[in-house]
Amino acid sequence: MADIKITNLHKEFGVGVDKVVALENVNLELGGHVFVSIVGPSGCGKSTLLNILSGIDTPTSGSMTITQEGAKAAPGYVFQAARLLPWRTVMDNLLFVQSDKSDETRVRCQKYLDMVQLGDKGNKYPGELSGGMQQRVGIARAFSIEPDVMFMDEPFSHLDAITARSLRRELHSMWAETGKTIVFVTHDVGEAVELSNRILVFAKGGRLEDDINVELEFPRDPSDEAVAVAKANVLRKFEELDLVAS
Amino acid sequence: MTDLAVQPSNQTSKVSAKGGAARKKQKPFVVRVLKSPTFARGLFLPAVLVFWLISNKMIEDSWDFDSSVLATPREVWDFMYAEISGDTVAPNNLYQTFGISLRRLGIGWVVSMIAGTAIGLGMGLSKAVNAFFHDWVMALLAMPALAWALFLSLILGFGDTGPVWAVVLAGIPFVIVNVREGVRSTPTDLFDMSTAFAVPRSKQIRHVLLPSLFPFLFAAARYALSIGWKGLVLIELFGGQDGAGWTFKFWYDAHRLHGVIGYSMFFVIFALVVENLILEPISRRVFKWRPRLDAPELVEEDIDTNLEKPNRPAPARSDVAGTI
Amino acid sequence: MTQEELVKIARRKELVVRWAARILGYVVVLGLWEWASGAVIEENLLPGPTRVIQTAVELFQDGAVFPAFGSTLNRIVVGVTLSFFIGAAVGILTQNRWFAGFFKDAITIGLTSPGLIWVLITALVFGNQWFAPLTTIILTTFALVSVNVAEGIGTLPKDTIDMARAFKVGVVRRNRHIVIPHLAPFLFTGIRFSFSIGWKVTVLTEVFTAGSGIGYEMRIAQILFRQDEVLTWILLFFVFALFLEKVVLQAIEDRFFRWRKEIAST
Repeated sequence: MADIKITNLHKEFGVGVDKVVALENVNLELGGHVFVSIVGPSGCGKSTLLNILSGIDTPTSGSMTITQEGAKAAPGYVFQAARLLPWRTVMDNLLFVQSDKSDETRVRCQKYLDMVQLGDKGNKYPGELSGGMQQRVGIARAFSIEPDVMFMDEPFSHLDAITARSLRRELHSMWAETGKTIVFVTHDVGEAVELSNRILVFAKGGRLEDDINVELEFPRDPSDEAVAVAKANVLRKFEELDLVAS
Repeated sequence: MTDLAVQPSNQTSKVSAKGGAARKKQKPFVVRVLKSPTFARGLFLPAVLVFWLISNKMIEDSWDFDSSVLATPREVWDFMYAEISGDTVAPNNLYQTFGISLRRLGIGWVVSMIAGTAIGLGMGLSKAVNAFFHDWVMALLAMPALAWALFLSLILGFGDTGPVWAVVLAGIPFVIVNVREGVRSTPTDLFDMSTAFAVPRSKQIRHVLLPSLFPFLFAAARYALSIGWKGLVLIELFGGQDGAGWTFKFWYDAHRLHGVIGYSMFFVIFALVVENLILEPISRRVFKWRPRLDAPELVEEDIDTNLEKPNRPAPARSDVAGTI
Repeated sequence: MTQEELVKIARRKELVVRWAARILGYVVVLGLWEWASGAVIEENLLPGPTRVIQTAVELFQDGAVFPAFGSTLNRIVVGVTLSFFIGAAVGILTQNRWFAGFFKDAITIGLTSPGLIWVLITALVFGNQWFAPLTTIILTTFALVSVNVAEGIGTLPKDTIDMARAFKVGVVRRNRHIVIPHLAPFLFTGIRFSFSIGWKVTVLTEVFTAGSGIGYEMRIAQILFRQDEVLTWILLFFVFALFLEKVVLQAIEDRFFRWRKEIAST
C-alpha cells in the first residue's frame, strides 16, 4: 500500500500560441488498498499524469509525493502497448526490471508468470506470443517487483473484447489478493465501474472535475444490473460536465 | 436439416460418376511433365548450353575472329576442375589467390566498421556533426567502386595498401548511414519503460540500446562486406599484382575465355557460399527473436473465461501465410 | 524575454551552428585534399582540387569533353532501352507459369551476379564491336526490369478493371486510366535502376575495349600517366551521372508520380 499526494500539479507544453495545458492545477490524495480509475476524453491529461507519477515526465510546476512502506522499489507500470524487449525471452523481460538476479527473484518472477497463466512460456520471445499474452507478460512484470503502487495506462484498450474481459478478471483477483494501490487510466467507463472503488473524472485541458466513489460489492459482473446503473450514473455525470463530444 | 439427410445417397453416386469421367479426361503423364514449370526450369541450363555452342559457331563464322579465344562448356569445366585441384598456370592457385584477397578484405572491413560506426554514431547523436559530414557521406555513397579502383590503383598500385583503401572507401559510407539510422531509430518507448521501472543506466545500455542498434550494425557489416569485395576486386584488376581481381584480369589478358568464364563462376560461387553458409545462418541465430510472418509457433490461446477451471494446454495453431 | 522569443533565438542558433558545421566540413575536406596533394603524396599522383578544376577547364577548351560524354551517353541510352524491352518481354512472359519456371534461374543470376564478370566476358568475346557495351548493359540490367514489370502486372488491380468493364469502359480508356498509371511507377523504377547500373558498367567496358567515350579517355590518360586527367574525367562523369540520376530523374518522378509517393525509390 502506498500514499500518493499531488499538490497543484501543473503541466503545459509549447509556448505562445502553440501552448497546450495538459494538467491544470491538480490536487488529489489517494492511498491504501484502493483501485482508482482515471477517466476522461482524449486530451484530458490522463496519460500525462501517469507519466509524471512514474518519472518519465516532469511537471511544469507543483509537486507530488509517493510514500511507500519501507524502502521499496519503483512503482509498477503497465503500458497500453506491452513494451517488452523483443530480443529477450519472457522471463528475461521480467528479470530486466528486478534489482537482482538471485534465485528467490527468479522464483518470484515465475510465480507471477504462473499467476497470469503463462508459467510455461518463460522461454518464448515476445514475437511468438499473441497481443493478449504479451500484455499479460507486461502485467506480470509490473506485479513481479511487488510494488506498493501500480500505474496502468489503458492496458486493455488494444485488445479484443474477449481477451480484455478475461484480463480484467485476472487483474481484479490479483489486486484483491495483493492489497496494492492501483491507479488505472481508461477511456472505458464500463471498465472503470467494473474494477474500481473510486473514479476520478478529468475534463479536456487537464482539470479534475469529479471524484466518484463506487460502493458496490466485489466481484462485479458487467451484466449485473447494479453495475449497469452505476455506469449510467457516471455517464450522466459526463453529460452534466459537458464532457460528451460537442 | 432433414434435406441434408436425404441428399447424401444421391450425392455419392454423382461423385463417383464424375470421378470416372474426369479420370478419362486427364492429360497423359508426358504432356503434364512437359507443361510443368519445374520442367521448364530444368530446361534452362540445357538451353543455355545449346545457345552457347551455337553462338560459338556463329561468332567464328561471322567476323574476323581469333577463334582460339572462344571456349566450350567442356573447356570451362576442365579449367574449373583443374583450379579446384590446385593446378594452374597462373602464379598463384585458386586458394592462395582468394586467400590474399580475403586478407585484404578483412583488414579493410574492420577499419570500415570501426571508423564508420564512430562517425555514424556522431552523426546520429549530434546535428552539428551530421551537418559537417552529410554532403560528403552522400557523395561517397554515390561514388561507384569503379572510380576508387581506377584512381587509387595509380597512386597506391601494388601491394596491400591500395586494395585495403578501396575496401574502406567503398564500404564506409554504408556503415555510416546504417549506424546513423540505428541511432535515429532508438526505441524511446522501451527507454521510457525502463525509466518507469527505475532500471539503472548501465542495464539500459546493455539490454535496450545495444540490442536495438544491433540489426543496423549487422546490415552495415553486410554492406561493408559485399561492397568492399566489389571495390577490392576492381582495384586488384587495375593495378595489383595478385589477388582474385588480378588473376581474373590475368586470364583476360591471356585471351583465355575459359579462364575468364571459369573465374567468373568462382566469384559467383564464392558470393553464394558466403551468403548461404556464413551470413544467413548467423543472421538467423542472431535474429531468432524476430516474429516471422510464417512462424508456425505463433501460439494462439484458448481463452478461459472462468479462472476456476484448470488450465488447458493451449493448442498451437499455425498462422501460416504459405508453406515453409 | 518571453518564452516565444527564447524559443526563436534557440532555433536560430541551431540553424547557424548547422550551417557553420556544413561549411566547415567543406573547408576541412577540400583543404586536407589540397594540402595532401604535394605534402603527403606527390602532386603528380594526387592532384588537388585546384589542379582538378584547371584540368577540367583545359579539357573543355580542348573540346574533348562533349564528344566523349556523347559517346558514352549514347551507349547507355541505347543499352538501357534495349534492356528495357527485353526485360519487359521476359517480365510479361513470366506471367505464364511455364515461362516463369524457365526464366527463374536466369533472373536470379541476372540479379545477383557482379557486373564485372559480364564486362570482361563480353569484352573478350566481342572486343571493341559496337554492341559489346550494349550486351553488357542488357545482361546486367534485364533482370531488374523484368522483376519490376512482373511485379507491376502481377499487382494490377483486377477489381478496378472489372469495375470499368462492368461500366462498359473501352479498352483504350481502361488502359489509359487504370493500367498505365498502375504500371508506370514499376517501369520507372526499372529504368532508374537500369540506368544507375548501366552507366557504371558502360564506363567500365569502355576502359577495357572502346575506342571512344569516357572510359576510353580514362584509359588513355592512365596509359600516358596523366593522373590529373584521370581524376578529372572520373569526377566529371561522376558529377554528370549524379546530376542525371538525382536531379533529372528525380524531377520527372516527382512531377509524374506525386500521387504515388509511397512507391518512391530510395
